[in-house]
Amino acid sequence: MKICVCVKHVPDSAAKITIKGKNQFDESINFILNPYDEHAVEEAVRVKKQVGDSEVIAVSVGKKDAINTLRSALAMGADRAILIKTNIRADSVITSRALKAAIGQDGKPDIIFTGKASIDNEGFQTMYRLAAALNMSVASNVIAFSLDQERVLVECEMEADARGIIDMPLPCVIGTSKGLNKPSYPTLPAIMKAKKKEVKIIDLESLAIEKPMSSIEILELKPAVEERSSKELKGQPEEVVMQLIRVLREEAKVL
Amino acid sequence: MDFEIPESLRMMQETIRRFVKQDLEPISDKVEEEDNIPEEIVQKMRELGLFGLSIPEEYGGLGLGTLGECLVYEELTKTNACFRSRIGTSNGIGSMGILFDGTEGQKRKYLPRIASGEWTACFALSEPEAGSDAGNVQTAAERDGDHFVINGLKHFITNGDVASLATVIAVTDRKKRSRGGITAFVVEKSTPGFYTGTIERKMGLRGSHTCELIFDNCRVPVENVIGGEPMIGKGFKTAMGVLDKGRLTMGACALGAAQKLLDMCVEYSKERVQFGKPIARFQSVGNMLADMATEIYAGRQMLYHAAWLRDRGKMVIKEASMAKLFCTEMACRVADKAVQIFGGMGYMKDLPVERFYRDLRLYPIYEGTSEIQRLVIARELTKD
Ligand SMILES: Cc1cc2nc3c(=O)[nH]c(=O)nc-3n(C[C@H](O)[C@H](O)[C@H](O)COP(=O)(O)OP(=O)(O)OC[C@H]3O[C@@H](n4cnc5c(N)ncnc54)[C@H](O)[C@@H]3O)c2cc1C
Repeated sequence: MKICVCVKHVPDSAAKITIKGKNQFDESINFILNPYDEHAVEEAVRVKKQVGDSEVIAVSVGKKDAINTLRSALAMGADRAILIKTNIRADSVITSRALKAAIGQDGKPDIIFTGKASIDNEGFQTMYRLAAALNMSVASNVIAFSLDQERVLVECEMEADARGIIDMPLPCVIGTSKGLNKPSYPTLPAIMKAKKKEVKIIDLESLAIEKPMSSIEILELKPAVEERSSKELKGQPEEVVMQLIRVLREEAKVL
Repeated sequence: MDFEIPESLRMMQETIRRFVKQDLEPISDKVEEEDNIPEEIVQKMRELGLFGLSIPEEYGGLGLGTLGECLVYEELTKTNACFRSRIGTSNGIGSMGILFDGTEGQKRKYLPRIASGEWTACFALSEPEAGSDAGNVQTAAERDGDHFVINGLKHFITNGDVASLATVIAVTDRKKRSRGGITAFVVEKSTPGFYTGTIERKMGLRGSHTCELIFDNCRVPVENVIGGEPMIGKGFKTAMGVLDKGRLTMGACALGAAQKLLDMCVEYSKERVQFGKPIARFQSVGNMLADMATEIYAGRQMLYHAAWLRDRGKMVIKEASMAKLFCTEMACRVADKAVQIFGGMGYMKDLPVERFYRDLRLYPIYEGTSEIQRLVIARELTKD
């Protein structure tokens, strides 16, 4: 089985982002493998182990440095990687067209995993566009995945407490969400091995993808200011304590 | 000059950071209390490849250079020091004698097992009468045909109880001693006449065991001389080579802990309010933070530079001693200030600050005391 996993090189959410000029930011900060994509890689590698005789190919669209994110995917267990190199800030339209072209060149896979979104742009669209372009079925926000011969059964998070269950045929595109698995961090021997795995670099221009009729342009970047506000909990002491626990757990996420 | 950390080493640091956060920190207090590292954690360390950092790839290790090993240690010492100590002897003093001076057969037999973590290796040099004065070992190995018979007592041996294998330094010619009368052996724990003695009670480093090792008519074949027959009498050089290499990694251990203490102090001093403002705003506290950060910065540059030189094949006897001396003493100064910044909380067992303070006190003592490092540096400076 051939499995592709699309990964993005994104700024570390723990890094301090400094805006440069109107719509640029200082890119000397730490970049990481998009956290949702970690679940995608983990699942791809798990499926590979389940099926046997399979290959996992990590694909990324990005600048030269995105190779580091591909190395992370290789250390997590992908077999080889493809970097579609570009200096443009690709939106979901360009990204999905580039992925389609490169993946098409490499040979159509049975499953494509990718994170449900990237934490930088949060477009939530790439997997749908990619699936449409490749004429594959698609599901996103996936928190459970099982493969049985030619069919796939997934559970998708719809809203709080609502889950959709989809039975779909191969080939398909799966947008992974957090609950799907617990990504394992790569072992040191796996990191050493990843250094020797193949990374093919393709220039975006060489793919000659069709220019979209419109695309996203970032006009201005502004720091997000977190509003601080106080909140009063009312009621009997027992109720207030329960409310407080809920707030600490669900809103402040400290419990 | 290129100060960029290679990508694969950065990824390794990230792996260790996650391992520390997810697996080690949550059990650190328990380990401290029970004075023992659970077997599942040791197993996880094996899977992560932590026992084979410095052993070359051809013998099943990762073949990291000195800088790589230092970077891994620096991350791993941001938690309870015993975890690093558990892997330390296998990566360093316990295996390096075999790697540097062993025969090909010895390397093939032992290094892959050490690298995989199946066997832990320890290093048995120190004795009641031979500490800094390593040439004064009393443990004797007497030749008996194609065997040696070892008798004596070693003490303060890290991982002596969990080790399956020891590099043992013994005297084979009392007249010659360090000039041709000391021999290094590799001795398997299962050899009759080789026992673990008392596990010492220590100030810190709980979870890592330091023991006596007893040799009572322990017979080992001549093949177990590290380097074989030609290396009989040349074990002092082997022992010193092993300790030389360990100096930089000791510096890295001190550095990681110092950095962790600084990070905790910065956070605490911004949150702890007295006289209506965070204590970080008081100049005396700010000065302590500034001094800590400055010394850490100096230590890191010194250490990385010496490691980089060593990885380029340069002799770094002086630089390695300087880095060990400076980083280990610096970390003690940092720990002292950290306790001060945390005030009463710094003295309580509820926080790890007091544990770091106790654990760090070891570093200027073992693998060559600060005084011995100064001796080495001075000797290097003034030699003809
Ligand atoms: C927790 C722990 C783990 C250890 N693990 C190991 C291990 O795995 N394997 C092993 O072989 N050993 C191990 N050691 C032993 C350690 O290496 C020795 O303790 C150390 O070398 C110092 O020797 P000593 O304790 O006999 O002190 P001494 O040598 O008696 O030193 C006492 C003091 O005298 C000073 N001094 C001695 N000679 C000189 C000199 N010529 N000039 C100036 N000052 C001098 C010393 O610097 C020190 O301040 C361990 C020790 C500890 C505490």
